[in-house]
Amino acid sequence: MKTFAHVNAGSVDEVTNLLAQNQGKAKINAGGTDLLGVLKHRILPEYPEMLINIKKITGLNIIEADEEWIRIGALTTLVEIVKSPLIEKTCSLLKEAARSVASPQIRNIATIGGNLCQDTRCWYYRYPDEIGGMIKCFRKGGKTCPAVAGENQYHAIMGAKKCFAVCPSDMAVALTALGAVCTLAGVKGVRTIAVEELYTPLGNVLSPDEMITAIHIPKPAPDAKQTFFKFTLRKPIDFAIVSAASIITIDKGICTDVRIVLGAVAPTPVRALKAEEFLKGKALSEEIADQAALLAMDGAKPLAKNAYKLEIAKTLVKRVVKDSVVTVNSLNDPV
Amino acid sequence: MTTTQNLSYATITLTVNGENHSFILGEGSHEVTPSHTLAHTLRERLGLTGTKVSCDDGACGCCTVQMDGKAVNSCLLLTVECEGKEITTIEGLGDPVTGTIDPLQKSFIDHTAFQCGFCTPGIIMSAKSLLTENPAPTRDEVKESLAGNFCRCNSHYHVLDAVMAVARKGGNK
Amino acid sequence: MKEYRYIGKSTPRKDALDIVTGKTKFINDLTVPNMLYGKVLRSPLPHALIKSIDTAEAKRLPGVKAVLTYQDIPDWMAGFPLHVRVLDSKVRYVGDAVALVAAETEDIGEEALRLIKVEYEPLPAVYDVEEARQPDAPQLYEQFPGNLLPQERRMFGPHTLQEVVTGDVDKGLAEADFIIKGTCAYENIPNPLPPEPPGVIASWEGTDALTVWSASQGPHMFKVTLQRRMGATNMQSIGSPVGGSYGSKYMSWQYVLPAAALAKAAGRPVKLYYGKTEHLAAFTVRLGSRIHGQVGMKKDGSVTALSADWLVNTGAFSEITQGMVAVGCGEAQLMIRCPNWNFRPQMVCTNRTASGQVRGFGGQELKCALIPILTMGLEKAGIDPVEFFKKNYVKPGDGYYWRDGKWWVCNGIDYTPAIEKGAETFGWQEKWQGWLKPTSINGAKRRGVGVGVHGNADVGEDISEAFVRLDSNGTATIYSGLAEHGTGQRSSICKMVAEILQLPLDRVFVTPTDSSVNPFEIGPVGSRGTYAIGSAVIAAAEDAKRQLLELMAQKFKVAPEDLETQDGMAYVKGKPEAKIPWIKGMGYDRTIMGHGRFEPDFTLPNFMMIFTEVEVDTETGKVDLIRVVGATDVGQIIDPPSLTNQLNGCLGSAGIDSALFEETVFDTRLGRVMNPNMIDYKWRTFAELPEMEHEILETPFPSHRFHAIGVGEITPSPGPSAVLMAVSNAIGVRMADYPLTPDKILRALGKVANAERRGK
Repeated sequence: MKTFAHVNAGSVDEVTNLLAQNQGKAKINAGGTDLLGVLKHRILPEYPEMLINIKKITGLNIIEADEEWIRIGALTTLVEIVKSPLIEKTCSLLKEAARSVASPQIRNIATIGGNLCQDTRCWYYRYPDEIGGMIKCFRKGGKTCPAVAGENQYHAIMGAKKCFAVCPSDMAVALTALGAVCTLAGVKGVRTIAVEELYTPLGNVLSPDEMITAIHIPKPAPDAKQTFFKFTLRKPIDFAIVSAASIITIDKGICTDVRIVLGAVAPTPVRALKAEEFLKGKALSEEIADQAALLAMDGAKPLAKNAYKLEIAKTLVKRVVKDSVVTVNSLNDPV
Repeated sequence: MTTTQNLSYATITLTVNGENHSFILGEGSHEVTPSHTLAHTLRERLGLTGTKVSCDDGACGCCTVQMDGKAVNSCLLLTVECEGKEITTIEGLGDPVTGTIDPLQKSFIDHTAFQCGFCTPGIIMSAKSLLTENPAPTRDEVKESLAGNFCRCNSHYHVLDAVMAVARKGGNK
Repeated sequence: MKEYRYIGKSTPRKDALDIVTGKTKFINDLTVPNMLYGKVLRSPLPHALIKSIDTAEAKRLPGVKAVLTYQDIPDWMAGFPLHVRVLDSKVRYVGDAVALVAAETEDIGEEALRLIKVEYEPLPAVYDVEEARQPDAPQLYEQFPGNLLPQERRMFGPHTLQEVVTGDVDKGLAEADFIIKGTCAYENIPNPLPPEPPGVIASWEGTDALTVWSASQGPHMFKVTLQRRMGATNMQSIGSPVGGSYGSKYMSWQYVLPAAALAKAAGRPVKLYYGKTEHLAAFTVRLGSRIHGQVGMKKDGSVTALSADWLVNTGAFSEITQGMVAVGCGEAQLMIRCPNWNFRPQMVCTNRTASGQVRGFGGQELKCALIPILTMGLEKAGIDPVEFFKKNYVKPGDGYYWRDGKWWVCNGIDYTPAIEKGAETFGWQEKWQGWLKPTSINGAKRRGVGVGVHGNADVGEDISEAFVRLDSNGTATIYSGLAEHGTGQRSSICKMVAEILQLPLDRVFVTPTDSSVNPFEIGPVGSRGTYAIGSAVIAAAEDAKRQLLELMAQKFKVAPEDLETQDGMAYVKGKPEAKIPWIKGMGYDRTIMGHGRFEPDFTLPNFMMIFTEVEVDTETGKVDLIRVVGATDVGQIIDPPSLTNQLNGCLGSAGIDSALFEETVFDTRLGRVMNPNMIDYKWRTFAELPEMEHEILETPFPSHRFHAIGVGEITPSPGPSAVLMAVSNAIGVRMADYPLTPDKILRALGKVANAERRGK
């Protein structure tokens, strides 16, 4: 790996200042599970000149709650989320999503902030420089997306225009379903943004001097049924081919509140708004679930090799809806 | 570019298998650069070649070591960021004075829980981390804890037998 | 059955302690003083001429000690027949070697590669095996018109089997009750993907002596095949423990020759160790295999004629493709009892990373494409595939053309009992519901079963030589070029020698795999370890024992045949109390050297049957492997855990899982491998293991000292077609393409149509 200057940052201010001073040439390193691969394979046109280690900043790996919110520091590792009794009790779908990430070794060091900010897994974007040179695609300032007419089996089936890479973050899907917001710190101060609004077709809304410092989850209704399903070829290691997270409240058999979010189908997590609207006020049944699944796919336009993702996405939506009405854990292995 | 000018004189210290090691940061042939991974430092600076590098991408687990008791991929950690950490490698299992091997290692021998043996140190380190945290795991828990360890010869079944043989009874299903 | 002291008992591997403590020195754990690191600049284009190449800036980079291009590399040739240059003015796949660098560190080497400026003239590329045969297709090699590899008649002797043409196919088709035509392809070119990437250290002494340390399954063969290509009058090939090979690290000139060239140019030792990316994108994969076949069949399932074009895609060059085709052709005959054959392989070059030797060696690639065509006939006839294989698999007295083109007659055993036992354990009778019928349906999930078979007559292939040296302190040392690549074979030959000499196992040793120490050894390939290598070692041990007893007989003043030896002591039979140590007969100043040599014997087919049960989620297209049962007969188990390990190996190393999720994904517009990392290249994890059982019978093979034969190499090979059958049965749709990823399942179920392309 080509070397770089390295700074151990002691505070968020130091990080944002360094980011601002280096004008895009410095990168933050938290768990490093994504960034090191990016660097080793030289996939970006510009190699960073500096890495800023943020792991030594205190106060950023906490999980705490008050009456209304659950707060998770950006440096909280995925294993800490998996093992947190508070998260298990209040946000079981977040726990399931964290547990589905990669491998035990990765979850021991990968952070929730890093998971949200990880770069896409599109294999054109990540093509290694050592085998004939990296591929300059639309996301890297090139003119085209090679996936459109290429090997696009894992690419976006909706919401993409010029780059068909999907957002790989499982945390983003889970947190969008939970209606979470995150705190971004920059040289000009702090702002909050819904996780749902965090992503753009080519990445995220963070300006070059910003970092995520915390995630805030509004406490879900205790009786809401939370579900996270991730479809992969293999349970460990793999990034989602399609994932679905849902939080559904049912009162006397009627769906009173629902959020359904699809992952890995688009450059951003996608709320199935039409399906949500349809489900509200209905008594949930197999037929209703089927119809909701169809509505969730509204606007989908698959590429040549990924129409199957649409079918899987429909199945996952159907299953999260069905799962919310049957007794807990009756579907042992739904995906 | 903004950087700290005195970096080349900085040292970092980490504990590996109970011994403290200090490294000078720099570009020299025996120094540690900021881009060196922990796996590289263990192998090339300390000669601890029991830690293997296979995929170098954090997918295969061959480079698994313990950092502060937890299983981690040493190919995904920068040495410079391991300051003050306690690292245990495959060479650090067992008793360094008597040379007695860990019961888990003994069990791998007794079950021939390997074929080519390249992934074995990483598998043992992952399994050891599990047993430290949960001395009485179920077979499914062992499988899950080894989910990040590649074994291409398919010695999985023997590995599970070997780990379960030293797991404390109670969790055994 | 005779009770042995070691044979058939579980004993710890001799190398176990080093493996579990991390002390085993794999190739990348070795360094040589003053060693440099080699790096390879790899082509961005699938097919191009190098117009210019400028290395000046790379050479100026401090720490760079040698840079080589096609202009200054020695003209060493490789491949079968010799057709590949280590560096050429033409590149033939993305990842092809363009230039080599030797530098003080790996980082410097990598930076130097970036400073080499290359100008290419792009050429059109071709990837599909049939497109490559078209008259206007791009041509990879001048000497191979039509991209067709020549049939290589020298590989296994002057009559090397390159096709099966026998009987009268027209007559056979006329006799058939029905004729099936079909096409099936096994073209996902999975990577055997050993955890340890390929690697080597090369060091010259003077200009004519070369030492090579390598991870090779057959290090002695590097000396035999490569030294004369490099002008070295002596090559010392030293093998290290191999971190997995599955066949792939055997004929591997691709890393040996570049390292030797760099070491020569730099005048210093050079280590060349592939990164995993190179391993996945620029090292050898399985053969691509496509069959257009026509089968004549009777109502009772007997095959009257088989006519087929076997299109073999070898990629950018032939490592040993003609050899794999030879063995594949032989193996087809072991599986199908048919009087009339017109089975014609075509070996075709295309612009992708080359295919090389992989466990299954041509036969797996052939069967994965051929069995699904055969089974179309079985479906028509309503024949149970287990019954078909039972009836057809070669039996004692049956003949076949083997790889040398000669007619051999099976002198082995009948595997019917193994088939029946495997079927019983699996519950085949209960689970088999007929062709394209699921075993069970549970909501969206459907289960199905399938079976596959494989076997070769290579357990007795090729030459092995061994010496066994007895020292007067009561120890034995085996001189063998046998590399340890995971099968435990180096420990198993110790067990054989310990058994013959009745020595404690810890008093039997094997020399390092060093060609300057050991006699000729082809290596542990083709399941030949137990029978061929074992027999050479056994013969050497018997020879040593004979010499020992002759010496001891003088001491006892009896005939040698009246003596026994045990634990380093000799005694007159029946009088163990009057034993004396070897040293009393040998003296301290003598060693005894026994010689053993094994001559090829192709009369002993081995056998592996795999039963699989899968579950298909018809709403997501996901296929889960639920259960695997293996059935075989090995004559005599040498080491039970080593054998079960090898049988469990049926899943990975591009085996069963190549029907489920393993594939090298290839973009045919760019010519690039899109998944050259271990996240996107799928492999089976601990978290998702199927139930696994094996039925291992032990029907003695009389011609082996311990009545044993090997089976390790072939265990993955019956699997992929068995899974294809199981999935077809589960979903009621015949599948003919690997791997069975969700897109293919959902399309087969009519749930996904081919969408139109969109975007720019």
